[in-house]
Amino acid sequence: MSVPSPAEISRQPFPKLLKDRYFATRIDTIVTVTFGLLTLWLLWSFFEWAVLHAYVDPEDRDACVQSEGACWAVITARWRIVLFGLYPFEEQWRSALACLAIVLTTILSCLPSFWTALRLSLLWIVGFAAFYILMRGGILGLAPVSERDWGGLALTLFIFAAVVLIGMPLSIVFALLRRSNLPWISRTMGLVIDTIRSLPLLTIMFAFAVVIPFATPDWMNGQQLYRVIVGYAIFFACYQAEIIRGGIQSLPAGQEEAAKALGLGYWQRVGYIILPQAFRNALPPTINQVVITFKETSLVTIIGFFDILASGRAASGTGEWSFATIEVYVFVAFIFFVFVFSLSRYGAYLERRLGVGTR
Amino acid sequence: MEAAMQDPAIRITGMNKFYGQFHALQDIDLKVERGEKIVICGPSGSGKSTLIRCINRLEEHQSGTIEVMGTSLDDNVDHIDEIRREAGMVFQNFNLFPHMSVLDNCTLAPVLVRKTPRAEAEETAMRYLERVKIPEQAHKFPGELSGGQQQRVAIARALCMNPEIMLFDEPTSALDPEMISEVLEVMVGLAKEGMTMVCVTHEMGFARQVADRVIFMADGRIVEEAPPENFFNNPQNERTKTFIGQVMGH
Repeated sequence: MSVPSPAEISRQPFPKLLKDRYFATRIDTIVTVTFGLLTLWLLWSFFEWAVLHAYVDPEDRDACVQSEGACWAVITARWRIVLFGLYPFEEQWRSALACLAIVLTTILSCLPSFWTALRLSLLWIVGFAAFYILMRGGILGLAPVSERDWGGLALTLFIFAAVVLIGMPLSIVFALLRRSNLPWISRTMGLVIDTIRSLPLLTIMFAFAVVIPFATPDWMNGQQLYRVIVGYAIFFACYQAEIIRGGIQSLPAGQEEAAKALGLGYWQRVGYIILPQAFRNALPPTINQVVITFKETSLVTIIGFFDILASGRAASGTGEWSFATIEVYVFVAFIFFVFVFSLSRYGAYLERRLGVGTR
Repeated sequence: MEAAMQDPAIRITGMNKFYGQFHALQDIDLKVERGEKIVICGPSGSGKSTLIRCINRLEEHQSGTIEVMGTSLDDNVDHIDEIRREAGMVFQNFNLFPHMSVLDNCTLAPVLVRKTPRAEAEETAMRYLERVKIPEQAHKFPGELSGGQQQRVAIARALCMNPEIMLFDEPTSALDPEMISEVLEVMVGLAKEGMTMVCVTHEMGFARQVADRVIFMADGRIVEEAPPENFFNNPQNERTKTFIGQVMGH
């Protein structure tokens, strides 16, 4: 008996298709029914908790406490703390606009029509300037707000965008140094990368936030937030450098030789031949790294910053709502999901567009 | 200028190349006049490819001198760049840039290295693509072409730099048999137009047809050097005789 190919199966009418795929043998049927029921039961339980027995109105707080359902009332009452952290209440519209600025800049820079060095740099300079002016204030009649009071989604997005934007060029430099023909350069870079990679991110953040100011002159220190971002960016760059190096090493040696034989100089070979192909090869692990970086921004809480996760904890931290931590975490998880899932889908789009795995 | 015109295309004297302890090329002396066509052959591992790759510094030699069009090949980066501009190279595995269209493959170096305006570079590229008989493939990517087509693009790409010398490193060895002739045809055409050519190849028919001299290498040395008539009909060295017997025998 010949097994129909997936393409053949998907051309069949629906009931037949269902039977071929899920009820072909007795074991198939048992597995399908068992897991089908399990899935339905899970979905139903969640639906019951999240919708049927849920309370949304903050007035219903007392009913919430008694109920088995979700208490979304905590979100309706305290969503501004989750999203904006300690940012002054009257000024939170600025934080919202700042988030929008970063998201918009990110979306624009994902569009192929912005993919020139000049356009991307201009775009991000404008994007970060808009973010900084809105958040920091002090000009254009905006009340100044110290970086210590930034928080919530705006802080998370800012740290993420800044780390990737500083870390990505840095990682290219690291990868190229790591591949230098001069042994003392490549070995030193290798040692630096291996050292930083063997330290936990937390340690690095802590060192940059707390320890470094003791060792360096005052004018170098700047705000703690920026120091943490620089530390995180270096950490990111070390991982990403190895990813890029992998991408470079997967290229046939003939590519660089052909470029040399045509008379291209080092930077021309790197810029036009090596990096475009290395990035294409390294795209899946790069997306992986970027996604991890987004999620690990939460570690800045350890230095006392109120990123979106810490703000969420603060929202349910008062005695009044302390029973509703799960709802807040679900809400925060949902926000993370929206951003990270979009990143992943964009990565998948890029892979298709660049034809990864096809030559 | 007068003096420069008298320089041979390539002059190699007393050149030695080592890979660690391994003596890959030994006391190589070779002079290639302008317009001359040289075929280098020999058993595998004899150093043919290494020799041709030393001429444009894809490999570094340890002693002796190499001069290309009067420029001496040393550690001076300007000299290396100058020589690479004047010497086009075609590889066994084509080495086209897979992330660029055929046309971009051809215009990249003229635009970046020679600073040719893009429109002019594209015009030149199309002229050479027509000459290798694949202008209709200009906007495809290398991966969409057959091996023979890719190698013809590689030849066109090298020609776009308007080189004085063309180096061929086993250009037909990676091709399916039915595609070899289309590449050889382009090379014969190029030879007839007076291009200076150094070809590492096992295509003895090509050697007979176009070579001014055939050079036989074994164990990192030039063993015999003769015009094709003498080389094939009256080889002097025992190893040359054995080699020709093997190559012609099948």
